[in-house]
Amino acid sequence: MDKTTIICRCEEISYEEIEDVISIGARRFDDVKRLTRCGMGPCQSKICSSLVAEIIHDKTGLPFPEIPLPRMRMPISPIKIGTLTTNSTTFSSVKSVLDEVELEDGKVK
Amino acid sequence: METDVLIIGAGPAGLTAAVETASRGLDVTIVEESLSMGGQLIQQTQVLGSLPSFYQPKRGFELAQRLRKLVEDTSVRCLLGHRVIGFYKDGSVGISDEANVFPLKAKKIIVATGAAEKAIAFPKWTLPGIMTIGAAQTLLNRDFVLPGKHAVIIGTSDFAMDVALQLSEGGVQVKAMVEKSQTVLARDTEKVNQVSKMGIPVHVNSSIKEARGIGRVEEIDIEQREQIMTIPLDTVCVDGGRSPILDVFYQLECSFGYQRELGGWIPQYNPFFRTDREDVFLAGNAAGVSSQGVLLVTGIIAGINASESLGALSKEEAEIKTTSLWKEIETLETKLDPDVWNARIRHVQNYEHPVLTDQFIS
Amino acid sequence: MDTNYETIIIGGGVLGSSIAYHLSDCKKDRILVLDQKFPLAGTSGSTQAWIWVHNKTPSWYAEFNMYSAELFPYLAKKIGDVEYKQTGGLSPFFNEADREKALQLAKAYKEIGIKIKVLSREEALEKEPSLNPNVAGATYSSIDGNVNPFRLVDRYMRAAKKNGVQYSTFNKVTEIQKLHDKFIVVSEKGTFVCKNLILAGGTWSRELGKLVDINIPVNQVRGQILVTEPLKPFLNYTISGVRQTFNGEVLIGYSMEKEGFNRATTLDLIQETANMAVHYIPGLRKAKVVRAFSGIRAMPEDGLPILGSIPGIDRLYVAATHSGMTLSPLIGTLMSELILDGETSVPIDRYSISRFDSLVR
Repeated sequence: MDKTTIICRCEEISYEEIEDVISIGARRFDDVKRLTRCGMGPCQSKICSSLVAEIIHDKTGLPFPEIPLPRMRMPISPIKIGTLTTNSTTFSSVKSVLDEVELEDGKVK
Repeated sequence: METDVLIIGAGPAGLTAAVETASRGLDVTIVEESLSMGGQLIQQTQVLGSLPSFYQPKRGFELAQRLRKLVEDTSVRCLLGHRVIGFYKDGSVGISDEANVFPLKAKKIIVATGAAEKAIAFPKWTLPGIMTIGAAQTLLNRDFVLPGKHAVIIGTSDFAMDVALQLSEGGVQVKAMVEKSQTVLARDTEKVNQVSKMGIPVHVNSSIKEARGIGRVEEIDIEQREQIMTIPLDTVCVDGGRSPILDVFYQLECSFGYQRELGGWIPQYNPFFRTDREDVFLAGNAAGVSSQGVLLVTGIIAGINASESLGALSKEEAEIKTTSLWKEIETLETKLDPDVWNARIRHVQNYEHPVLTDQFIS
Repeated sequence: MDTNYETIIIGGGVLGSSIAYHLSDCKKDRILVLDQKFPLAGTSGSTQAWIWVHNKTPSWYAEFNMYSAELFPYLAKKIGDVEYKQTGGLSPFFNEADREKALQLAKAYKEIGIKIKVLSREEALEKEPSLNPNVAGATYSSIDGNVNPFRLVDRYMRAAKKNGVQYSTFNKVTEIQKLHDKFIVVSEKGTFVCKNLILAGGTWSRELGKLVDINIPVNQVRGQILVTEPLKPFLNYTISGVRQTFNGEVLIGYSMEKEGFNRATTLDLIQETANMAVHYIPGLRKAKVVRAFSGIRAMPEDGLPILGSIPGIDRLYVAATHSGMTLSPLIGTLMSELILDGETSVPIDRYSISRFDSLVR
């Protein structure tokens, strides 16, 4: 394939960049993603994941069942932060850094 | 909000699953992202050739209308324009209508999220005017917009033949169909003949080398036995096949197996169309890409067995029905492509041996 | 692949790769990094990557972080652009009790030469106009900033490889034997021999320790982080809980859960984090979240780094810590000094594993 061909259209990552990180040992979509940003855009790898799996397969000979799916995450499709704040009012697990500062006799420990 | 059965996706499989469960008196909720029920059936103007024996041959949109009517006759709660965005710690489903997010507690979930078209990469494939074949069909039959005036179709599947004919009839000049294999892939010879009668040239042993254009695709190079053929056009329809949409299964921590013939990675499931999570069933293309007829049957099986798991019909009855419906799948799928049927059998037999599992454990 | 090495580092994350780079930069002498998966697959690849000094306690630990933060400008010159930006750090607070904490923190830091300012409401809003107008104030430190974690580990790894370091990835270590002058390291892909062995297993440190019958008390703490679509650059500072990347995405999160190695995300926490986002920066309400991710932090039992040699086993070393991004240049430097010279330019005695009671399992 032509080396300048775009593989990830969201982040404009080319075939060449993906080839490069496979050459340094990346074997899974997520390895490629972290090193190139391929799949980090708005579509969250929905378009490029099968293309990348094919490149990994071509370059390394790994059979497809040994090239795992990208790790998928919530939200299942993009959503406004304002929408997410509805029907949720607690702060139980979310902390501020000053919560970690402990005072002892009015002084920092 | 609470429900007995939550069905995610109102395509053909989701709708048959809804009818099966709701008709047994269960409280059923469908969540559907778009504003209409019927999924991909809505833009299928061709007669669907391989429907289950208990259906009359119909055009896709007619079938969608009929299924919609059946669902509307029951008390199914239809959340159109809603989407599942994730899951809560207690297992509740997070649903959004864009203004709010709210939890829905379901005893059973049937996931029928369908399949997505796969991309094919070549230089400048991101130019406007280059689209998936399904997108071209949606523009034409659903939005009543011509995707362009002069098109080339990359791929020769049965679906590509359908769309080639529909584009031609709609007034688009289909300048060529391009196939990288040695032969045309479509199995419906009648359709292949129709395409040839329309004067659409089909090039086998050929592939797209690159596209060119400023701001929009203007021409493409087709490579055939090291010869380059340049075709001026304004539309390229790419048929890269489809793969199941898995996000919901992934978040539900279902396991996966790999079957190339069924679209690649698919959730692991047993003959009852139940995943390895006891409360999660699946149906349709999400359970392996297949024909419209098979999708309907998988929805029925998932619906029957979800009903059985909630005590709405007896185990014996469910098993008898499931066995006979599997025969329908066998008939339809063997006719479609024996390799697809064999892959499905292999996949179900591998139920205890998933390839991808515990995806969130480091 | 060679089987005989001077030094083997187990773990190719930000610490392991930094040690590999710094060590090889001093002495190119047969170094192998073993990683059970691939660098960035664990903690190093799922972080907001603040380079953060202020609000860390005790103050001598903050000082340790400051020394490391100060190395970043030089590091970039040596290994290449890691998108490090010394933005300054801002920790907003919303009540008077926190202002008292902030004032005490500033006082304690002053004694060791770290300047943090306690800003009034007006000063905080002047610095960061997008903050919630209901803010009570903020602590501010000029030394804080952020880095691109992917770039940082990638650059360490590439620079180390340039110095002759070998990486063996997707290769889990299953057994370690200590003979009188060498270690035998058995892995899925083969057996290796080395003189020096460094355990840099991050969240898996406890598991690695078991292979040498040593208790390395590192626990797992899960953090969930939201990623927005790219927005126009509008945040001036790294805010504790929120920061904007070079690409314009905003990373949001400051959660802590004890879930072992489970890296799932939950809608409960995603929604709480969204609440935190609009509580800090109301304008984020309109931004779209494209992803939430979850990372498992390595958290030593007392929260402080575990660094240095392991008493009783000659030439066995450990480096395990929280805040690996911030501390990586310093720990890489100090561990290299320790291995090559037997002593370090900044004392690390306080961080010795011997401070824990139950060293031997």
